Amino acid sequence: MDNKKLIYIHPLPVRIWHWINAVGMVMLVVTGLQIRFADIVSLFTLEEAITLHNYIGFVVIGNYGLWVAFYFGTGKIKIYFPTPKTFLPNTIKQMKYYGVDIFKGDPNPHHMTPDNKFNSLQQQAYVGLMFIFMPLQMITGLLLWRVNDFEKYINMLGGIKIVDTIHVLLFFFFSIFIVVHSYLATLGHTPLAHFKAMFTGFEESH
Amino acid sequence: MKKKKYTSLVLGIFSLLIAPLIFPSLCPAVENEECMECHADDTLARTKSEGMKENLFVNQENFENSVHHANDITCVDCHSDIEKLDWDNEIPHSERLAAVFCDKCHEEEAEAYVDSVHKKAGGKGITIPCYACHGYHYVTHLEAESVLERENGFCLKCHNPNKFHEWLPQMETHFAYVECTVCHAPEVPRYINLRFFDLAKQKFLDGNELLTAMGTDYDGFMPLVDTDSSGIIDIKEFENFTYMLLAKDLRGTFHAELVVAIEPVVHHVNRGAANRECEMCHIPTSLFFENVRFALNKEDGTTEHHQVDRKVLETYYLKHFYALGGTRIRLLDQIGLAMIAAGAGVVLAHLFMRILTIPTRKKKMDHKI
Repeated sequence: MDNKKLIYIHPLPVRIWHWINAVGMVMLVVTGLQIRFADIVSLFTLEEAITLHNYIGFVVIGNYGLWVAFYFGTGKIKIYFPTPKTFLPNTIKQMKYYGVDIFKGDPNPHHMTPDNKFNSLQQQAYVGLMFIFMPLQMITGLLLWRVNDFEKYINMLGGIKIVDTIHVLLFFFFSIFIVVHSYLATLGHTPLAHFKAMFTGFEESH
Repeated sequence: MKKKKYTSLVLGIFSLLIAPLIFPSLCPAVENEECMECHADDTLARTKSEGMKENLFVNQENFENSVHHANDITCVDCHSDIEKLDWDNEIPHSERLAAVFCDKCHEEEAEAYVDSVHKKAGGKGITIPCYACHGYHYVTHLEAESVLERENGFCLKCHNPNKFHEWLPQMETHFAYVECTVCHAPEVPRYINLRFFDLAKQKFLDGNELLTAMGTDYDGFMPLVDTDSSGIIDIKEFENFTYMLLAKDLRGTFHAELVVAIEPVVHHVNRGAANRECEMCHIPTSLFFENVRFALNKEDGTTEHHQVDRKVLETYYLKHFYALGGTRIRLLDQIGLAMIAAGAGVVLAHLFMRILTIPTRKKKMDHKI
């Protein structure tokens, strides 16, 4: 209580984007499981799963537009990019923290501020995620949504199986990302601290 | 020896005499050429009682390419009420010919047709005779025809599929790769038809073209490709086949389509009987993918088919064919499982360490206070 203070870390548009994305991604993974493994999974009919997957896909794409608009519109996008000078030492420090120091109860070497929200490991993960994996998944998803209309582009990429392979590998990646991301979110000063902050916008700083 | 020779001669003469009785088409009362004297005229037409004009022209070249001509069926075999031509009359035969009944020869097909929505429509004042779909003078083999050719030649003459398939995801892709009757005639055997598309020539190669390029013929194809002589081209043999084509500078792709076998039961199309369950097709154990055949199409529209292991559908040798879930690449599932196991393993190990080290952190906190 002594030196605790609240910092406004997550602005409202970011929180809206985050939770729409979270629910959307979980639903895409669940319907995606149904679509790929219709012989094993039977949560929906395949027809329902495809319809749902398509609608949710568009919601997630639209939501990505919200993320782009907010971060590029406000210039806050720079929080995703590391400072070259401190990048390597910070990465090593952060890895040591997650791998060793966290178990000893040592403090997190990264101090969250609105302009420096992510530690260097988060920056790497999120840059890959938001600038490569998400767009790639959205593009391949769009191509697979209307195979006939986008046949030309699908063939340019090497055929339907190549496009599907990218989409499926990323589907597996996002499936496990949701699990790992949720687990890492419990590594705040209390297990629910980061979850709470993503609703209220305020993180406690110690 | 001499006696035997005479017996053969007598038998020969006797056969010649009775042959026309057994095989009338061998010695028709009216030759096709006689019919064509009038019917080769492309202006030949008659006015029906309803005032509509009916074209009576027969394109000789097209007729000669027809399956009936190939089987020595003559004009009067079908128009059997014409026994002779009377050239003294303007029309040398009866003005109104009797209807042609295809079921005289095509018994099984006719029997199957009885159990179909098209035949049942007859009770509602509509008659759909065989030739409404099949045409009459220019019927050809359908085996070698692609999905689009089959659809355009039959169902799409009357039906607009866009009207009734809005529910179907990837509607147009289904229309392009799956023949209507695959779903609409649920009892008919189906198979995946594989053809080779030459990217340089931008066309499908027929059997002759492919075999010539490979330096073999119809008899030599399987011994060359099916090296273990199992009668089935397995994945390894298919891989070698693709290398063989590359070695002959044939660059292309294998195009796959889901078609039906041309069997009488294909007529069993009935209202409400079509398969609408996506899971029938889109699971790896689907019977729809059990039968995979590589097609060597011949000029007469027939095809020489060679069995291919269905597992080939689950490889990258067929980059342009993928039935969601149904022909999925199993290796990707194994990679996915490894990714999930690795991620979950790290999380569980970390969580375990966190729980295990709770006393250490508690001691540190207590010490701080």
